[in-house]
Amino acid sequence: MDTQEVLSKFTDILRDLLLDDSIELTMATRREDVPGWDSFNYINFTVAVEMQFGVKFKIADIESFSDVGAIATQVTKMLAATS
Amino acid sequence: MLFNSAEFLFGFAPIAVVGFYLLGRFSRVSAIRWLIAVSLVFYGWWRPLNVLIIGPSILINFALARVLLRLNQGEHSRRTSQAVLLLGILFNVMFLGVFKYTDFITGTVNDVFGTNFVLLHIILPLGISFITFQKIAFLIDVQAGRVTSFTFQDYCTFVLFFPQLIAGPIVHYREMMPQFNAVSCRFDQENVAVGLTLLLFGLFKKVVLADKIAPLITPIYQHAASGAQVPFLTAWVAAIGFTLQIYFDFSGYTDMALGLARFFGIKLPPNFNSPLRAPSIIDFWLRWHITLTRFLTAYIYNPLVLARTRRRLTKGLPGLGGRNTTVGAFVSLLLFPTILTMFISGLWHGAGYGFVVWGLLNGVYITINHAWRLTAARLWKNRRSYDRFMKPVGHLVTFITVCATMIFFRATTITSAIDLVRGTLGLNGLGLPQDLLVALGPLAGILHGIGVVGVSSSGQELIKAGKLICLLLFIALALPNTLQILDRHEPALGIRPGPAKLPIGKIAILKWNPSLPWAIAISAIAAVALVSIGGPSEFLYWQF
Repeated sequence: MDTQEVLSKFTDILRDLLLDDSIELTMATRREDVPGWDSFNYINFTVAVEMQFGVKFKIADIESFSDVGAIATQVTKMLAATS
Repeated sequence: MLFNSAEFLFGFAPIAVVGFYLLGRFSRVSAIRWLIAVSLVFYGWWRPLNVLIIGPSILINFALARVLLRLNQGEHSRRTSQAVLLLGILFNVMFLGVFKYTDFITGTVNDVFGTNFVLLHIILPLGISFITFQKIAFLIDVQAGRVTSFTFQDYCTFVLFFPQLIAGPIVHYREMMPQFNAVSCRFDQENVAVGLTLLLFGLFKKVVLADKIAPLITPIYQHAASGAQVPFLTAWVAAIGFTLQIYFDFSGYTDMALGLARFFGIKLPPNFNSPLRAPSIIDFWLRWHITLTRFLTAYIYNPLVLARTRRRLTKGLPGLGGRNTTVGAFVSLLLFPTILTMFISGLWHGAGYGFVVWGLLNGVYITINHAWRLTAARLWKNRRSYDRFMKPVGHLVTFITVCATMIFFRATTITSAIDLVRGTLGLNGLGLPQDLLVALGPLAGILHGIGVVGVSSSGQELIKAGKLICLLLFIALALPNTLQILDRHEPALGIRPGPAKLPIGKIAILKWNPSLPWAIAISAIAAVALVSIGGPSEFLYWQF
C-alpha cells in the first residue's frame, strides 16, 4: 500500500470522527490545520488507524508525529515490515 | 531572585549574559558550564539550602536515566526498564509529595477524622512542581527511546537552565538539547534585540499591568475570607480582575523567560496564546499554560485514553468519536480521563481544596464541551450558521466560566470561594456603593425598584478597579500578543512568521523589527516598567 492510499483512508477515518466531510488531508496537514482536531480526537484517530491497518504505535510515536505525513510514513513502514 | 527585581535585572542577568559571551569567545564548553554555574547561583540566591535539596534529586534522576539508557541499549526485557521507570516516577512524585503535600494530607486527615496531627510547615523548594514534571518527562523520554545519548553536563544544562527553572515553560529534552548543541555562545544582534524586547514586554505586563490590578482585587478576597457577603458587582470585579491579574502575571513572566533564554540563543516553547480570546474551554486550555497542557496530555491523558481505547476496541465495544459514540464510550474514554487529568492539574497547582475544585470544575467543563461538540454536530448540520451564532456565544460563555472558576484558584478558603461564586450569581444581592447610587440620580430609584440596595462604601475602589479592568480587557482581547508582534523573529520555538503588518482594528502597523520607531516604543514601555519596579509584587506561579 502506498502513502497515497494510506492518506485517503486517513481522510475517511478523520471525516467520520469529526463528522466533517469537507476535510481533505495532505501529507503536510498538521493537527491545528483541521478545526476541531484537538488532542482528544487525536488519540481516537490514531487508535482508529491502528485498527484499520492492524498496526500498533508506540506512545512515543503518537506524541511525536508532527503532521499527517509522519503518521502515513510510519504506517507504510510498519506494513512493509510485517508483509 | 525574582525576574522583576533590580538585583536580577541590573546585577545577575547582565553578569550571566556578558560572562557567557566572553567565555564563548574562548570555548563553548566553558560558556555552557558558566551557564550551569550561574543557574545554581540563581536557584540558591534566596535560600542556599534549595541547592542542597535539588542537588541529590538531580543526581538520582541522572543515575536512573543512565540505567534506563543502558537497559534500552542492551538485550534486557522491556519489563525491567518499565520497572526502573516506575521507580523513577515514584521517587519524583514522592519527592514532590513530601515537600508540597505533607501538610495538605495531614490537614485533610485532621479534617476528616477529627485528629490533631501537627502540621510540619515544610518550606517548598523553589519551582519544585515545574522541575519535578520536567524530570519525570525526561525519564519517560529516555525509556521510550526518544533520548538516546546524554552526558551529566547535558542533563544539568537541561534541568537547571535558569530562564525556565522556576516557573517554566516546561520543556522537553529533545527540543532543548539540539539548540544548546548548536548555539554559538557569542554575541548576536538579533538574539539580544529580540531577547530584550521580550524581556521588557514581560516586565511591563508584570509590574505595570498585573501589579496594578492586584491591590484592588486582594481586599475583596480578604473581605470574603472574613465572612462578609460579597454583592454581585464586587464579586465580578474579583473574578475578572484576578483572571486578568494571573494572565498578565504569568504570561509576563513567560515573556521574560523567553527573552532571557533568547539572550543565550535559546528559544523556549510558547506558553500563552491570548487565552482569554478562546471560543471554547477546550481551546482555552490549548492557549493557557500551553506547556503544562502539553505535559498532562502527553504523559497522563494520552496513555490513559490509548490503553482504555485499545481495551474497549479489542473487546468489541465501540470507541469514541464518529457517528457511533455511546454513553459508555464517552464515560470511559473521555469523562473519566479528562476529570482525572484535570484533578491532577489542580492538585499540581497547589496543595489546597480550592485548587482541586478548580481542576475538577475545568475537567467537567471540558467534558461538557466535548459532549456538546458531539451532539451539536448532529443537531446543527449547517456549519456556517452554527459558527455564526455559536462563536460569539462560545467566547462569552468561556470567558465568564474561566473567570468565575478562577475564584477557587484565588480565594483563601473554600467557604469564601463559594460565597464569592454566590455573589457572581446575584445571590448576595445587587448592592451598589451608596455614593455611586447617589451619583446616579433618578436612575437610583429604578435600581431600587429592581432590588438594588446601597452598601456603605465610597465606591471609589470599585470604579477604579472597573476602569483598570476595562483597560486590561482591551489589551488582552483587542491588541496583538507578544508572540504575534515579534513573529517574524521566532520569539518562541516553532512560531512561524506571519504577514508583515499587524491589524489593530482598522489600522495596520508594521510588526516588530529592529527600527527606530520600535526602539522608541519599547524604550517608553521600558521606562514605565522600570519606574514601577520595587513596588509590592510577587509572581503568582513562583510559589508552585
